[in-house]
Amino acid sequence: MQIYLPIAELSMNVFFLVGIGGAVGFLSGLFGVGGGFLLTPLLIFTGVPSPVAVASVTGQVVAASTSGALSYYRRGGIDLHLALYLIGASTVGAVLGVLLFSVLRSFGQLDLFLSASYLVLLGSVGTIMLIEAVKAIIKARSGVVVRERMPHQHNWMHGLPLRVRFKKSRLYISVLPVLAIGLCIGIIGSLLGIGGGFILVPALVYLLRVPGNVVIGTSLLQVVAMMAVTTVLHAVQSQSVDILLAFSLMVGGTVGAQFGASAGQYLRGEQLRALLAILVLAVAIRFGMTLVLPPDDIFSTVLLGPGGLL
Amino acid sequence: MLALPVQAQRVVSSVSNTAISISSSFDGETLTMFGNIEPELGGAGPVTGPFHVVIVVEGPLAGRVTRLKTHNFGIWMNTVQVAFNDMPTYFQVLSDSRLKEITNPVTIAEEKLLPEYQAQAAIETGWWDSVVFANQTVRLLTEKGVFGVREDGVKFLSNTFYSAQLTLPANVPNGAFLARTYVFKDGEIIARKSDGFSVRTSGFERFVAQSANQYPLLYGLVCVALALFTGWLGGVVFKR
Repeated sequence: MQIYLPIAELSMNVFFLVGIGGAVGFLSGLFGVGGGFLLTPLLIFTGVPSPVAVASVTGQVVAASTSGALSYYRRGGIDLHLALYLIGASTVGAVLGVLLFSVLRSFGQLDLFLSASYLVLLGSVGTIMLIEAVKAIIKARSGVVVRERMPHQHNWMHGLPLRVRFKKSRLYISVLPVLAIGLCIGIIGSLLGIGGGFILVPALVYLLRVPGNVVIGTSLLQVVAMMAVTTVLHAVQSQSVDILLAFSLMVGGTVGAQFGASAGQYLRGEQLRALLAILVLAVAIRFGMTLVLPPDDIFSTVLLGPGGLL
Repeated sequence: MLALPVQAQRVVSSVSNTAISISSSFDGETLTMFGNIEPELGGAGPVTGPFHVVIVVEGPLAGRVTRLKTHNFGIWMNTVQVAFNDMPTYFQVLSDSRLKEITNPVTIAEEKLLPEYQAQAAIETGWWDSVVFANQTVRLLTEKGVFGVREDGVKFLSNTFYSAQLTLPANVPNGAFLARTYVFKDGEIIARKSDGFSVRTSGFERFVAQSANQYPLLYGLVCVALALFTGWLGGVVFKR
C-alpha cells in the first residue's frame, strides 16, 4: 500500500517503512542503542532525500528512546542533575548543527558531508567496538575473568575548574568536560540524524566515570531531550521533517524494540557487541563506496524551496 | 517585428478536468484537451485546412539548481552548479505530427515550444552552462516524467476538431497549470488559446505539507509530541 509522503515528495510502500522501522527497532532493542545511526543510512540508501531522512529520523529516535527513558526513571536510574547539564550543552550544539546543515544544503555538499562523516564516525567506532568485543570473547573463552574499570577513579578531566557535585553518580567533577561532551553530541546528532547514545555511553563511562546503574538511563533522557529539540529546529529551519515518514517508522520501531529486547536475552554480551560492531562497519563501508565509486548519474537536479534554500 | 497574419480562424477549446486533486492513493490522472477550429465570429464561410495543432502544458514556475559531480582526490563530489530561475516544474508538448513538419525552427525557438528552450531561457550564466546544463536538466526531468514531447499526442477527429490526452504522473507538482494551444497552417500560427487547470493535494496530505511550511514551529512541536506519546504508549502496551 503506497502512501504519499508530502515532505519527501515521493510515494513509498507503508509496509516497507514500518518494516524498516521494525528491523532497526529490533536491533535497537537487542543492542540497547537508539538505532538512528542505522536508520538514517538505510533511508538514504532506499532513496529518501538525505535532508528529509536526517530530520525525520530525529523524530523517530525520540519515540524509540522515550519508553526506555521512562522505565529507567521509574527505577531511579537517572542522574537528573548530570542530564540537565548535558541537555543544555547539547541544545546549543543542536542549534549549531542545524545551522551548519542548512549551509551545507545550500552549497549542495550535504550528501558528501554525510557520507564522509558516517564513514569516519562509524568506521572508527565500529573498529574500536569490534576489537573490544573480540578481545572479550577470547578472554571469556579462555576463562579469564574480565576486570571492569573501577568507577570513581579520577582522570585529568575531573580536575578541571568549575567543579559541581553530582549526587546520583557520586561524582565531584568539573562541568567543562560534561559540557564539551554535550556540545559535540548535539552537533553530531543534529547533522547526522543520530541520537548519539552509542558515543555518549562510552564517553560517560570512560571519560567521566559515571557508574553503570545511571549511565544508560541518563543517556536515554539526554537523547530524548536533545532529539526533541533537534526535531523542532529542523522543522523550523528547513521544513524537512516528514511527519508521516517519522510516524510509520515510529510504529515499526516501538514494536520491533520490544521483540529485540527479549531476543537479546539469548545471546552473550560480547557476542552481541561483536555483531553490532560488524553491522556498524558494514554501513561505514557502504558509505565509503558511495563516495569512491562513480555515481549512477553525474548530473542531479533539485527544486529550490521558499527563500532560496532547498 | 513580423506582422502577424490576419486571423480568419479562432479555436474553441477546453480541458476535461479543471481541478485535479491528489489524495493519498493518487497515482496519476488522465486529462483530455480538445477543441474545434472555427471561423471568426462574423466571418465568412467554413475554414479550410490543413491545420496542425501544438498544445503546450506548462506547470507552475519555480527556481531550480542542477549540479555536476566530478572526480577529485579520489572521490566524487558536486563541484559545479547552475541555477535556473522561474522555470516550469512541468512541461509537456503535444502535437499532431513532427514539430519540424509543422513549422520552422525560428518559430519553435521564439515560442519556446521545446523544453530545451524553456530551460535555456531560465539560465542567467554563459553559453556553455546554458547548453550543457539545460540539456541535462531536460533529460533528468524527462526521466522523472515531468518533461516530455509527444509528437503524436494530438489527434484530429475531423478536419477541424482535435483531441489530446495527457496523463499526469503521480509526482506532478501542485499549482496552476496552463494548456496553451497553437493552431498552425502552412507553418504560421493562425490562432492561439489558453486553458487553465489546477492541481492540488487534497485533504490530509495537503494539510500536512502546508502546515510544515506555514507553521513550522507548531508542526515540529506536534511531531515531538507524537513521538513522545508513541514511545510512552509502546512501553505501556508491551509492559513486561
